[in-house]
Amino acid sequence: MLELRGVSYRYPGYATQVLRDLDLTIADGEIVGLVGANEAGKSTLCLVASGLAPASIGGRLTGSLLIDGEPMTGRAPHELAERVVAGFQDPATQRSGVAATVFEEVALGPMNLGLAVAQTVGRTRAALAALGIEALAERHPSRLSGGQSQLVALASLLVMRPRHMVLDEPAARLDPAGTNLVAGAIRALAATGAGLLIAEHRTDLLDGLCGRIVVLDGGCVVLDGPAGEVFADDRIEGFGVEPPARIRLARALAARGLDPALIVLDADATPVRGVASPDPAAAPSAPA
Amino acid sequence: MTAIEIRGLTHVYPDGTRALDGVDLVVPAGQRLAIVGQIGSGKTTLVRHLNGLLRPTAGSVLLDGLDVRSTHVARLARQVGLVFQDPGAQIFSSRVRAEVAFGPRTIGLRGAALEAAVDGALEAVGLTDADALNPYDLGLSRRKLLAVASILAMRTPVVVLDEPTTGQDARGTARIRRIVADLAAEGRTVITISHDLRFVAEGFERVAVMGRGRVILDGTPETVFAEPSWPVLASTSLEPPFAARVGARLGLGSTPTEASLIEAIASRSAEAGSRRGSS
Amino acid sequence: MGLVPVTPGPSLVDAGISPADAALLRRLVPAMPTAWHRLNPLTKATIAAGESIGAFVLGGYLGPLLILALVIVPSAVVARVAGRLLRVSILVSLPIAVSVVLVTVFTRAGPTVLFTIGPFVATLEGADFAGQVLVRLLVLATALGLFGMTTEPRALVFDLERRGVSPRLGFAAAATLETIPAMAERAAAIQAAQRARGLDTEGGIRARLRGVLPLVVPVVLSSLTEVEERSLALEVRAFGRPGHRHLLWTIGDAAWERPVRWGIVIAVIGVGVARLAGAWPHIP
Repeated sequence: MLELRGVSYRYPGYATQVLRDLDLTIADGEIVGLVGANEAGKSTLCLVASGLAPASIGGRLTGSLLIDGEPMTGRAPHELAERVVAGFQDPATQRSGVAATVFEEVALGPMNLGLAVAQTVGRTRAALAALGIEALAERHPSRLSGGQSQLVALASLLVMRPRHMVLDEPAARLDPAGTNLVAGAIRALAATGAGLLIAEHRTDLLDGLCGRIVVLDGGCVVLDGPAGEVFADDRIEGFGVEPPARIRLARALAARGLDPALIVLDADATPVRGVASPDPAAAPSAPA
Repeated sequence: MTAIEIRGLTHVYPDGTRALDGVDLVVPAGQRLAIVGQIGSGKTTLVRHLNGLLRPTAGSVLLDGLDVRSTHVARLARQVGLVFQDPGAQIFSSRVRAEVAFGPRTIGLRGAALEAAVDGALEAVGLTDADALNPYDLGLSRRKLLAVASILAMRTPVVVLDEPTTGQDARGTARIRRIVADLAAEGRTVITISHDLRFVAEGFERVAVMGRGRVILDGTPETVFAEPSWPVLASTSLEPPFAARVGARLGLGSTPTEASLIEAIASRSAEAGSRRGSS
Repeated sequence: MGLVPVTPGPSLVDAGISPADAALLRRLVPAMPTAWHRLNPLTKATIAAGESIGAFVLGGYLGPLLILALVIVPSAVVARVAGRLLRVSILVSLPIAVSVVLVTVFTRAGPTVLFTIGPFVATLEGADFAGQVLVRLLVLATALGLFGMTTEPRALVFDLERRGVSPRLGFAAAATLETIPAMAERAAAIQAAQRARGLDTEGGIRARLRGVLPLVVPVVLSSLTEVEERSLALEVRAFGRPGHRHLLWTIGDAAWERPVRWGIVIAVIGVGVARLAGAWPHIP
């Protein structure tokens, strides 16, 4: 379990608190979506939840980060790395720069953890397979497309077999196929008991993936609840969050005096192919 | 006003990659055109010919009759403003205002005309209050808007936006939509590259689908996102927008935008209602 | 000659690695087409250092030229890079060579005057000194060039790590090498963006000078931000963790290489000491 208790944070050299007295819990096996306007503090929250702020980037943190009950204050970055990993938006900066093949790039994490060669190889193969990029194993990491790089970056994190993972817009550059792979890998990781926090704009992606949604505004948590409830809440647009397509359409229908239940969707019509919609009923044929 | 005429455009990179393979595209002045397609289909290569950053290997590109092959990039920048995907790739001033002023000043605007161009651009992107800030004190998405402002201030007849909505939140995307609409209302030609097909369907009147260096489908959103076109879209790793898929499933014909989908459902219900009423 | 990888070998199967995985690991090792390439990286580094320092320590012309002709060139031939090596070394050392010659020929005081240009006096002693410096420069360039052309940075870094050097040190070196092409790419991207804003890079000198700031600043700023983001991404992968790492591959060390390395070090130190003590015979 990953807990933030009464957390406030400001960046080094800046006076403003980017996060204010924030509480957040991510249970084992939970996938929590983090939404909010761009300056609300989502990326900062990702840095704090992974311990990188303040351990690696400095700044002032009040309150505490606890992982499985243990406070993480004062821990070295590599100690944090064994418990929680974080992925960032730009796949180019997540390349180590020292690997000449994707395989070695992904294997870097397990090697750093001191694993034996057989274990490193096994984990690396599994991570590449989970994201469908085994064919890229011997390619040079800097000669990949944006989407491929993003998959490699995610594989480099999955291979750590973390208990907690924080992802900042993991599918930003991906096409529908890539997005599906990422969603599948996230679900598989959660199924092993890991807790995940995913910051995203694409509420359609989060809709089928997350059990819980947290809305951030001005550095504070303003909404925190089951995905179905939060996305249907009228207030989220005021916080800069666009509801997923199915909610938008239901509202548009209601505004026209039509029955919102006219559109009930199954897996085929959801925005990300393969991601199951929360409403499993089949689409009705139009009234004749 | 500028029209763009692309005939038989082919581009082969030094390493032998044939990025464009005979592209024909005629863009009337004032059109809103979206270019879509998978990575490697040639979208970025294509738009980089418009302001002379790349030169054709074969074929021609005419900007309102001006042949880009014999014109300096600096001169073409007055005709075509290209907003790159990565704002970090161009920001060098320590103040937002100075950053926006760089482009127009370089192409010759001075005095009141320069200030007006900068003010207009800052307002369009919503950064008027931030004009004295350091660009790196803005968040990433506002920096992207700053990059857009830097090009808007140049008041070019053609504006090209490369993936303008990636990483933007709801407000940022709405702002980009407004900017596209305003530019079109002024009679400017707006071209975008985007993988956000909802943004494309709702804001653009023409969609050119690229695959393997060619335009494989070209038409209105109604045509391009209709069910018969789906196999072509799939061949370049595209999925039709959500509204189009729902409309097709409900047998409502082509409904590329959410608005058109709601309309179609409303009229179908009204029909059904009146039929029931009359039986 | 030096073994190819130490790690992928018969012991792999016992360690639970399948033949397919072992084959993959072997493919990860950089290509080593000649016997020279297959030498241990530390050996190659020691040879390069020995050649360079040796040239300086030996004095005169004959010493360095013998090193070049009897050691460096034959090694380059075995490694099949002789032509490219000489071309690149001369090209790279040319600017320095020209400035060195110009400075020393005219500033080295000596009794034998060759010619004068205005206030500048060219002396034979100056020309002699310049000649000696040039020869040493050539040895340095070719020795380091040969090492660089035939050794993968990772191979050296892993080898040092195998011997106990902290991985972080090696990493810093390898990553620095990576940043140069990365910065060049970045600079190209930034140039494109600024040209799209009307920056004239094809015009005259004044235009180009005006264009320096809009090109240089983004390169530096974005490189700095990139460095910070990169280091965070590494820490997340336990980069700073102390303790032994099991590397996927390393380059082996043949039994005779260690004594040869020590031999080179001792020889260079020996000649150096002898020269300092005045016990080394003068060689032209």
